[in-house]
Amino acid sequence: MSLIVVGLNHKTAPVEIREKLAFNTQNSIKEGLKKLIQTEGINEAVIFSTCNRVEVYVYSSSAFSLQPSAGYESMSNEQQAPAELIKQFLSEFHNIPVKDFEQYLYIYSDRDAVSHLFKVASSLDSMIVGEPQITGQVKDSFEIALSERATSLILNHLMNRALFTAKRVRNETRIGENPVSVSYAAVGLIKKVFDELSKKSILLVGAGEMAELAMRHLIGSGIKNVYVTNRTYKRAEELAREFNGTAVSFEKLKEQITKSDIVICSTGAPQYVITEQMVKEIMPLRKHKPLFFIDISVPRNIDPECNNLDNVYLYNIDDLQDVVDSNILERKKEAEKALKIVEEETEKFFQWLNSLQSVPVIVSIRNKAEQVRQEELEKFKSRFKELPPEVLASVDYLTHSIINKIMHSPTVALKNNCDSKEILIFAARRLFGLDSEEE
Amino acid sequence: MGTIFFELALTLYFAGFLLSLAGVIRKKDDLDRAVFFLSLSGFALHTIYLVVRYIKSGQAPVFSMHEATSFFSWSILLISLCINVHYKARVMSFGIILTFAFMFIAAFFPRSVPSIKPELKSLLIDIHALMAVFGIALFSIAFIFGILYLIQERAIKSKKFGGLERILPSLEILDRINYRLIFWGFPVYTFALVLGLVKYISLLGIHFDLKQVWTFLTWIVYLVIFYLRVKGDWRKKKAAYLTIIGFLLVIFGFFGINLFTKSFHKPL
Repeated sequence: MSLIVVGLNHKTAPVEIREKLAFNTQNSIKEGLKKLIQTEGINEAVIFSTCNRVEVYVYSSSAFSLQPSAGYESMSNEQQAPAELIKQFLSEFHNIPVKDFEQYLYIYSDRDAVSHLFKVASSLDSMIVGEPQITGQVKDSFEIALSERATSLILNHLMNRALFTAKRVRNETRIGENPVSVSYAAVGLIKKVFDELSKKSILLVGAGEMAELAMRHLIGSGIKNVYVTNRTYKRAEELAREFNGTAVSFEKLKEQITKSDIVICSTGAPQYVITEQMVKEIMPLRKHKPLFFIDISVPRNIDPECNNLDNVYLYNIDDLQDVVDSNILERKKEAEKALKIVEEETEKFFQWLNSLQSVPVIVSIRNKAEQVRQEELEKFKSRFKELPPEVLASVDYLTHSIINKIMHSPTVALKNNCDSKEILIFAARRLFGLDSEEE
Repeated sequence: MGTIFFELALTLYFAGFLLSLAGVIRKKDDLDRAVFFLSLSGFALHTIYLVVRYIKSGQAPVFSMHEATSFFSWSILLISLCINVHYKARVMSFGIILTFAFMFIAAFFPRSVPSIKPELKSLLIDIHALMAVFGIALFSIAFIFGILYLIQERAIKSKKFGGLERILPSLEILDRINYRLIFWGFPVYTFALVLGLVKYISLLGIHFDLKQVWTFLTWIVYLVIFYLRVKGDWRKKKAAYLTIIGFLLVIFGFFGINLFTKSFHKPL
């Protein structure tokens, strides 16, 4: 039996390839799953498709032993076979020849596949490590597969463990705690100063991609009073419309700052647009209410001396970048902790998977039966001490053959290769109480 | 007299204190719920202790160092719990650390019921003492929030993060709580002082010692803070500094003078 993942992501494939292989709608995923599980040699499947990755997880229950870890070349034919089936499926489903996308694929089997999925679900393989959406996306894909009955014992357990691992990573590390983009970092800082953003007003001076992005994040965090000013009033009006705000003429800059709590500045001016003197005059007018400046312009538009004034906070683009850098550094440290968790969980899952192999189960069942037989024989012998040895020998023979007779059909059933073999093994472990101590 | 409740409350506070310390040192807030419930159960037991003592002795449990310190720590916890619930600000850790500290101190003072002069056995004096201690507790928490404000403000100004500010609420919240505490603390404290003064003069006439003078000084400082804060036109950072000065005065008046002069309100 083998677990296989075939996939590509933002690291291995350019967007032109990713978009061709993507499953963009729930329906296309459902269709794909239907095709996959009808394929001979594939028992369970999950399709995971986001803008950064397309992955197909498959469980194939051919009766071959698990390989601890191996690259594709060193995989046995039986492991390569399902991978080839997936490639074929992708090619047919999306109408692209295999050779067009083959080079961008990664293929992992068994232990590597498990640990890959756990990393993906915990956002360790994401473009922005620690971003939280991916766990939800994994969950959604799993639910689609469940609704299509494309998964069963193995992938159900695998997916649940993946979500559990993601939860552990989130709770036990600080991986997703601090923002790692400049515009989010700005929002984070503003939230350290102000409480109810919905009651604050924000002024955008100038324009620019990053300033607009920061504005969007702030509006997303609840800011409603938005003002925009620009040297060309028309541009201010355009932006104001975009942000659902009010355009203010550039001459009224000082007046407007007095009424604002947050000022984002991003103009092309070669000198300071907002000077220390100006802010000094403004502060008493606003009763020294805190004022947060973000200066994204290069060269800078706000006199850095402003940061020394009471209740004035000024962050320029480098300050924000520093915050982001230290957050990224921290995420990297946290990612190492997270990898340890993934490692642990992979090991646990793999142990569980191993327990579903037929030979060890048969051996344990037989051992257990033999143990019971020996114990009962001892009791019998100590109770009837006077019995002649030949009687004892025949009792021994009798019990032995009873056990063999009883064990015969379970053994045959477990050794047989059929589609639902793991379920049978799983059930056998339960019925014979082989892992009673487990959760 | 119901000492078992005191011991139990102290134990729960100690547990809460340890968890809070773990949270503050690790700069994580994942233990906050546990801290909250430990504090709440400790608070319930502590309340029973105070009420039993009040009923059995017939006088407010604030007249010995043990009683005053224990009631003080009870007040601190009550205020922290209110802040935690009302502002949904996760500041319980700081409250329980302070509560435990004072409760621990209270444990070292003799626990016998103090005998006070019969002419002081009156509801008026009970209210005076209870309110004075409660007012000081309000000021003390204001002081804590002043310090937290300065920590948070320093982190934002200096652009260096990774310290305590990780688990602190925004400057606005810290300042608002500081303001509210002063806003309530000042009238409570003033009322307590007026009650005390009326009774004092009616018993002794006009005669003042260090304790009275010191208390008056403290009151002036809080008057200034109160005035400036209510007026609104005030730089928050300076407000935070003033709250700290006020606190140092008040806490010295509370512990220092009482310990050095070996008596509450010396002439009585």
